[in-house]
Amino acid sequence: MSDWSKVTRPIPVPNELSRPFWDAAKQGVLAMQRCQSCGHYQHPPYPTCVDCMSVDLKFEPVEGKGTIYAYTIMYHTGDKRFAPAVPYASIIVELDAAPGALMAGNLLEAEYTEAKVGRRVEVIFQALNDDITLPQFRLARDTTPVQRS
Amino acid sequence: MWEHRCKVAVSGVGFSRITRSAEIPLAAHALEAVKAAVADSGLEMADIDGLATYPELPATGHAEVDGITIVSVNCMMAMLRLPNLSWHIQTESVNIGGAVQQAVNALLAGVCKYAVVWRAMHNPRGTYQNLPGTYAQGATQFTAPYGFGGPGQGMAVAYTRWLETHNQNREKMATLAVTQRKHAQLNPYAYFHGTPLTREDYLNSRMVAYPFCLYDCDIPVQGAVAIVLTLADRARDLKPQPAYIAGYGQRLHFEVAGRIGSLSSYMEGGRSSSKLTWERSGFSPKDVDVAQIYDGFSASVIYGLESYGFCKEGEALDFIQDGRIELNGELPLNTFGGSLSSGRIHGLQHIIEGVLQASGRAGERQVKDANVSFVGASAPIVQGTTFIFVREPY
Repeated sequence: MSDWSKVTRPIPVPNELSRPFWDAAKQGVLAMQRCQSCGHYQHPPYPTCVDCMSVDLKFEPVEGKGTIYAYTIMYHTGDKRFAPAVPYASIIVELDAAPGALMAGNLLEAEYTEAKVGRRVEVIFQALNDDITLPQFRLARDTTPVQRS
Repeated sequence: MWEHRCKVAVSGVGFSRITRSAEIPLAAHALEAVKAAVADSGLEMADIDGLATYPELPATGHAEVDGITIVSVNCMMAMLRLPNLSWHIQTESVNIGGAVQQAVNALLAGVCKYAVVWRAMHNPRGTYQNLPGTYAQGATQFTAPYGFGGPGQGMAVAYTRWLETHNQNREKMATLAVTQRKHAQLNPYAYFHGTPLTREDYLNSRMVAYPFCLYDCDIPVQGAVAIVLTLADRARDLKPQPAYIAGYGQRLHFEVAGRIGSLSSYMEGGRSSSKLTWERSGFSPKDVDVAQIYDGFSASVIYGLESYGFCKEGEALDFIQDGRIELNGELPLNTFGGSLSSGRIHGLQHIIEGVLQASGRAGERQVKDANVSFVGASAPIVQGTTFIFVREPY
C-alpha cells in the first residue's frame, strides 16, 4: 500500500468560486456547484453554468458515491512532495449524483493496483490542517452507509 | 469548400541546433531557425514583414525570462530590427498552430507579405517540472493536492479510460514508438537520430505514470524551428516548391480548467477542429496520403487518429499495426519521428514535416506521391489545431 505518511500535500487555497466547497468539506460534507436554473452539477466550479449559461449557481450537498472514471498510477518521483508515496493511484471520480462532473482524488485504504475504471468508490475526508479538509476516496463498502459528521 | 484554399503557402523552413537542455540562450536558437527558414525561401531578412509565435514555457515552476526561457515577438523584433515590419501577434488559446493560422489570415488580409512563425522551446537544466509549492492555487487546488503534478498524469488518466473502456492493451503502443523512432533515423534534425529503439526496449522501459512508460513521453529538448508563409502567387517565385494550405481548423470545445481526464473532451476537441479542416479543404480522411499527429504523449496520437476520423473510436491501437503507419503504409504517420523521437518543440515540427512531405522535400523519408498532407498540431483537447497541405492547388 502506498505510504502517504511522509507526503506533504500542497494545501488548496480557496477563492471566491471554491470557498463553499472547502467550507463544506471541513464539515465532512461533499458539496458541488449546482445550476439553480437547469439543475446541472459541475466541478470544478465555474462562474456560469456550462450547460445553460445561468449565473444562478449554488453549492448543494451530494452523496459521495460514484465510480472511478479514470486513473493513473504514479511512479515518477519528479514531484518531491509525493515521491515517498510512489507508486500511488490518482483517480478521477464521476459521482452518481453528478454525471459529467469529474473530481480528482487518491484511492486510499487500498492497494494502488485496486484502481480500475468502473470501480465503485465512496468519499472520505482527510484533514490537512485546521482550515482545509480534502475529500478523498476509498473502495465502496456497500454494507456500510457513508458516514458524515 | 473554403474560398481561400490554396491561396497561402508555406515556403521555407528552418531548424536550429537541438541540445538536451539549455546551453545557450533560447533566443540564439530562435534566431538560428528564423535565419535558416528565410534563407531556405531565398529571401532577405528585410523582406520579412510579419512575425508570429506562441511563446509559452511548458516547464512549470520556472520563470519566464524573455530570450532565455521564452522567445516572444518583442524579443524577435529586437533581434531582427526588421525595416519593413508591418504585422505581428502572439497567440494563447490555440498553441503554435494558432500563430500559423493568424499568419495565414494576415496574409489573406494583405497586411503583410512574408510572415515568419517560429516556436522556441526551453528545457531547463535540472528538474523539468519544478513543483516545490506549499499551496495549490486556482485550478490546481482541485488536482495538485492529489499528486497531479504535471501534464503526464493529466494525459495518463484519459488513457486508462480509453484502454479499459475499449478493452485494449497498452503493449500495442510499442508499434507507434518503434515506428516513429525508425522514421527518426531518416531525419538528421531528430534528437534520437542515430539511436534506434526496439519493441523490447519499449516493453521493458520504466513506468512513469501508468499507462505511460518512458517511451510514451516525448523527449524535452532546447531548440527552435521556423517557417515562412506567403501568398501562393509569391510563393511560386521563391526557391523551394511551396506547400499550399488547403484548409485549417481549431478546436471549438472548451474544457474548464482543472477538469482533467475527460476522454470525451479529447474527442470533441479533435472532431471540432478536423471537421472545419475537412469541410474547408473538401478532403476526407481517406484522401490523406501522409499524416503528422501531435505526440507530446503517445496517447495523443490515439485520440487524434480517432477524433479526426482516420479510424473508429477504440480502434486506433489496432489501426497502427501491420505496417499501416510505415513510410510505405496506408497512412505514413509522424514521418519525422514525432516529438517522441525528434524532441519536444511542440507542433511546429509536425507542421514543418507536413509541409516537407507535401512539397516533396522530405529527402530519404519522402512518402511517394504525397499530395494530401494532414497535420494535427497539438493534443486535440485544449489547444488543438489541424491543417491540410497539398502539392497541387485545386
